Amino acid sequence: MTSALAHYLDVAQRFHARDASAPAWLKRVRAEGLAQLERQGLPSNRDEAWKYTNLAPLVGGTFLPPGEARGAGPLATAVEGTFVPPSEARGASPVATAMEGTLIPPGQALVARGLATAVEGTFIPPGAGDLSAVVARLGLPGPRLVFVDGRLAPELSSLSGLPRGLTLKPLRDALREDGETLEALVGQRALASEHAFTALNAALLEEGALLRLAPGTLSEVPVQLLFLTRGDAPVLASPRILVVAGESSEATLVETYAGVGVGPGATFTNAVTEVTLGDNASLHHYKLQAEADAAVHVGALHVRQGRDSRFASHAFSFGGALSRNEVHAAFAGEGGDATLNGLYVGRGTQHLDNRTALDHAVPRCTSRELYKGVLDDKARGTFHGLIRVRPDAQRTDSRQQNRNLLLSESAQADARPQLEILADDVKCAHGAAVGRLDAQALFYLRSRGIPQAEAERLLTQAFAREVVEAVPAGPVRERVEGLLALKLPGSARREVRA
Amino acid sequence: MALLTVRNLHARVAGKDILKGIDLEVRPGEVHAIMGPNGSGKSTLASVLAGRDGYEVTQGEVLFDGKPLLELSPEERATSGVFLAFQYPVEIPGVGNLHFLRTALNAQRRVKGLEELDAMDFLQLAKEKSKLVQLDAAFMNRSVNEGFSGGEKKRNEVFQMAVLEPRLAILDETDSGLDIDALRTVAGGVNALRSPERGMVLITHYQRLLDYIVPDKVHVMAAGRIIRSGGRELALELEEKGYGWLGLESGKSTTVVAKGGEVRR
Repeated sequence: MTSALAHYLDVAQRFHARDASAPAWLKRVRAEGLAQLERQGLPSNRDEAWKYTNLAPLVGGTFLPPGEARGAGPLATAVEGTFVPPSEARGASPVATAMEGTLIPPGQALVARGLATAVEGTFIPPGAGDLSAVVARLGLPGPRLVFVDGRLAPELSSLSGLPRGLTLKPLRDALREDGETLEALVGQRALASEHAFTALNAALLEEGALLRLAPGTLSEVPVQLLFLTRGDAPVLASPRILVVAGESSEATLVETYAGVGVGPGATFTNAVTEVTLGDNASLHHYKLQAEADAAVHVGALHVRQGRDSRFASHAFSFGGALSRNEVHAAFAGEGGDATLNGLYVGRGTQHLDNRTALDHAVPRCTSRELYKGVLDDKARGTFHGLIRVRPDAQRTDSRQQNRNLLLSESAQADARPQLEILADDVKCAHGAAVGRLDAQALFYLRSRGIPQAEAERLLTQAFAREVVEAVPAGPVRERVEGLLALKLPGSARREVRA
Repeated sequence: MALLTVRNLHARVAGKDILKGIDLEVRPGEVHAIMGPNGSGKSTLASVLAGRDGYEVTQGEVLFDGKPLLELSPEERATSGVFLAFQYPVEIPGVGNLHFLRTALNAQRRVKGLEELDAMDFLQLAKEKSKLVQLDAAFMNRSVNEGFSGGEKKRNEVFQMAVLEPRLAILDETDSGLDIDALRTVAGGVNALRSPERGMVLITHYQRLLDYIVPDKVHVMAAGRIIRSGGRELALELEEKGYGWLGLESGKSTTVVAKGGEVRR
C-alpha cells in the first residue's frame, strides 16, 4: 500500500515538474491534490467507505499518466511508439512482453475472458488501430469529445451541431482560456480533502471537459464523452468533467468508458465529474462503463442541485476487474428531484462496487434510487447507499431499492442501505434483497422448449429490464442494450452448462 | 404404435413414494381423462412426464413414440412434442408473453432444422391462434401471466399449446378454478386442437370438464395407482356416486388426509 502511494506521489511530482508553466491557480489545485493524497494515503479495507472493496487490482498495478505510459508522442504513432524509460515503467513489463509478440499465458487469457468476448462482440474492430470504427459503434449522434488512453483525440471528436447556449470544451483548452471560471469550479463539489482518488485526480488535472449551459438552454441531442482505453500500456487516465447548468436549462450527458481490447494489460481510469444545477435546471446523466475486464475504474459523480432542479443518473457498470461507481447528490434548494439508477453486471472475478450518497439538506425534495446487480461466477457486487436527511429537511420523500441476482454459487452481493434521518416529517423507505433465478420460472420456460442457458438469459434480462427501461427509448438505450447483451449468460456458456 | 407408454412407474418426492406402479397407454388421436381425489398422485404423474426437478423415478419406464422419455431434459421433451398445461401457470415479470412464446417456438424449430419465424410472421400466427381461446391482444404484450386472472392464465396455457402444436398434451387441472364461461372457452380451445395425430391426457378432479371435452378413456387414480379404467360412462358413474363409490373418500374430505400424503382406501 505504501509503495503504491509513493508511486502516485512520484508520478504527480514528475507531472508538476513537466508542466511548470501552468497558471498559478492550477498549480495550487494540483499541489493541494498532491498534499491531500499524501495526507490521506490510498484507501484500505480498514476504511469504512472501502470495507467491501477488493483493492488488489489497484495496488497490484503500477499505472502511469498518459504523458509517461508510452511517451508523450502524438497518438497516431503511439502504438508503435516510444516506451517508457525503464526507470518509469515499473510494473509495466507484462505489457512490454505482450507487445513484443509473446502470447498471453493461459492463466491470463482466462482472466481476460471479457476481452475475448468483447473482441468477438459487436463494438470492437478486429484490428488494433481503427478507433474510428469503435467510435462509430459506441458513439451517439451529436457533439462528442473522444479521449484515448487518457488523452483528448481531436480527430475522433466532433463539436459540430452544438445547440445555442451550450458550450462544450476540452478541459485542456478551458484551463488556458477560462481560468477564472475553472478556478471557481474545480473542487467545488468533489473535495480532494475527503477522497484520496479525487485528490489524485486533482494532482493530475489536465484532461477532461467543460460543459456549460446558458440559462434557458434546451439541448435535444445528447452530449457524449467517450473514454477509450486500449490496454497496451499501463495508463492512468484522470479525466475531470465540469458541468454547469444555468437556470431552467436542460441537457443530456453521456459518459462512456470502454476498453477496446488492443492489449491485455490493465489500465486505471480515475474520473471525477462535478455538476452544478441551477434553479429549475434538468440533467439526464448516463454512465456506460464497459472497460476491459483487466481494468481498474474509479468514478465519482458529485452533483449540487438548485431549487426545483431535476437530476437523473443512470449508471451501468459492466467492465473492470475493479469498478467503483460513486454518485453523490446534494439538494441545495427546495423542490429538487433526484433519480439514481444503477445496474452492475459482473462475472469472472470482477468486483463491482457502488456507493451512493443523497444529502437532503433542505425541505421538500424527492429522491428515488434503484440499483440492481447481476453476478455470475466468482464476481462480487456491493451497494452502499447513504440517505442523509438533515434536521431542516422536512417533507423529504425518499425511496431506495437494491436488488441482486446471483447466477452462481460463488457469486456474492453485499447490500448496505444507510439512512440517517434527523427530520421528523419525512417519508423514507428502503429495501435490499439478494436472490437467485426462480426455479419455477426456469422450469416453465424450459417446459416450452427453451434451452436452459437461453431461459437463464431471458430471466436475467427480465431482472435487468427495470433499470434498462428507465432509459428512454433511443440511441442511449440501444447502446446500453448492446453492451448488456455481451455480458449476459448466453451461447458462449451453453457448452459449459450442458 | 402407442404415442405414450407408461409402464409400472414408481416415483417419489422428498423421500416419499407417491406413484406406486402406473400403467398407461395413449394412442394418437385419443383423449384420456385421469380423475381422482386430491393427493392421489395425478399432478405428480404430470410433473414426472414433463421433467420437473425434485421427482425421483424409482421403477418403471416411460416411452414417448417408442423412445425413452425420462432421460430427456424438459426442453428436449417439449421439442419432441410433449406439452404440459400447468395447474398453476408461473408469472414471469419482465418477460413479454409473445417474446417468450416466439423464443420457445423458434428454439423448437431450430432443433427440428426448420427456419425460425421472424417477429412479423410470428405475430400473424399468434393472432390467429389466440382467437381459439379469445385471448385479447393486450394480454399477449404483457409479461408472462403477470397479473392475469385464473381464467386468463388457463387460456394462456391453451394458447401456448395451440402455437406449439405438441403431439401429446397433458392438461393438469386446467379446469379447476374456472367459472363456467371460462371453462367453456378453454374446453372449446382444447376441442379445436383435437386431431388424429395428437394425444391428450386431461388430469382433473371434477367430472364437469368431461361434459365439454368428451374423453375416449377414463382412469381413476388413488394412492399412486390407477384403480379403475373404462369409457366415458365411468366418469358419469363417478359423478353420480362420488369417489366414495370406489371405496375412496370424497374429494373434499380427503384433502386433509392427502396432506399427510397417503390416501387410505
